[in-house]
Amino acid sequence: MSATEAQSAPRVYPWRMPVNWWTRSRHYFWYIVREFTAVPLALWLLWLLVEIRRAGDGPAHYAPHSSLAFVVFSVIVLLFSLYHSFTFLSLAGSILHFKLMDRPVSSNLIVLSQFAMWAVASGVIGFFLVWLGR
Amino acid sequence: MPDKRITINATRYDPEHDEQPRLQSYEIPFYDESMVVLDALNYIKSHVDGSLSYRWSCRMGICGSCGMMVNGTPKLTCNAFLRDYWPRPVMVQPLNNFPIIRDLVIDMDDFMHKLKSIKPWIIRKQEMPLGAGEHRQTNEQIDDFRQFSECINCMLCYAACPVYGLNNEFLGPAATALARRYNLDSRDQGVKQRLPVLADSEGVWECSFVGECSVVCPKGVDPAKAIQQTKLDTTMRFVLPYGTRE
Repeated sequence: MSATEAQSAPRVYPWRMPVNWWTRSRHYFWYIVREFTAVPLALWLLWLLVEIRRAGDGPAHYAPHSSLAFVVFSVIVLLFSLYHSFTFLSLAGSILHFKLMDRPVSSNLIVLSQFAMWAVASGVIGFFLVWLGR
Repeated sequence: MPDKRITINATRYDPEHDEQPRLQSYEIPFYDESMVVLDALNYIKSHVDGSLSYRWSCRMGICGSCGMMVNGTPKLTCNAFLRDYWPRPVMVQPLNNFPIIRDLVIDMDDFMHKLKSIKPWIIRKQEMPLGAGEHRQTNEQIDDFRQFSECINCMLCYAACPVYGLNNEFLGPAATALARRYNLDSRDQGVKQRLPVLADSEGVWECSFVGECSVVCPKGVDPAKAIQQTKLDTTMRFVLPYGTRE
């Protein structure tokens, strides 16, 4: 834009996003909650890496964190993880799109199948954890 | 109902005199249950204050011109009934996330550039001669893209998108929905021309799936779905380069 054009262009009032934009709608608020549940999850997973490293040094060096505070933190992270998984799988109907016999598969069926696979995978992993821990 | 009245608080901004937008209150007669917010603005313009500026055209939810924030929610003012707000006052503001030119009129240049960038028209590698006849499509092929073709470019989805509000480099919901509309069209061969814009870091990957764009769409289009499906498609094109559709 030339200087003359810039002078003749109308002055517009620029948009400024308010800092508290996420409190202005219930939808925005839960979106932010969904996104921030990933932070404690990441912290917990980082700690898991530390535990794995310790376990690699042999049973003598392995001392898992078992304080009450860590157990409470783990339970909270589990709830966040369930919430995050629930929201993610609920959105699968919007993300996945494919056809069976030239007909589009309904979003509800896709979401249900995701939850079913989640349940099966959790069951299989749970079974192995219990079986290996015996 | 001759005595029924409603208060309209409308944003006023005169770039030559005002440092920032302000609200001005108008109390007008609410004489008909079928009155919409646009009728209220037209009443103000005709009978109270002729200097109030806003866009409108069809009054039928087709042209997409009269989108504004009504009590904080992006709406077509021709489709927002006063009876749903009365007796509370109605606050009418310009669409969020856009610069304001005057009063309720926003600067839509950014959206128009983005719309053009995704080439929202049918692209053919080689045009068929007219004598070859029309491009035929089955109902199933039309169903693939039909909902995305309902977009009227009203920009309510942009006003609802906090990602666009925070970063206006983001391609945004409507432009992506329209790109998807053409990419899914069996007559179109322009996917590869749109891909650089869609798969750019400011394209679909900027979206973090707030989903509010689909909630506010007055035509039932699901731009969030278009964006997520485009993410999947661009990934599959990267992973399976030989499986791409020309």
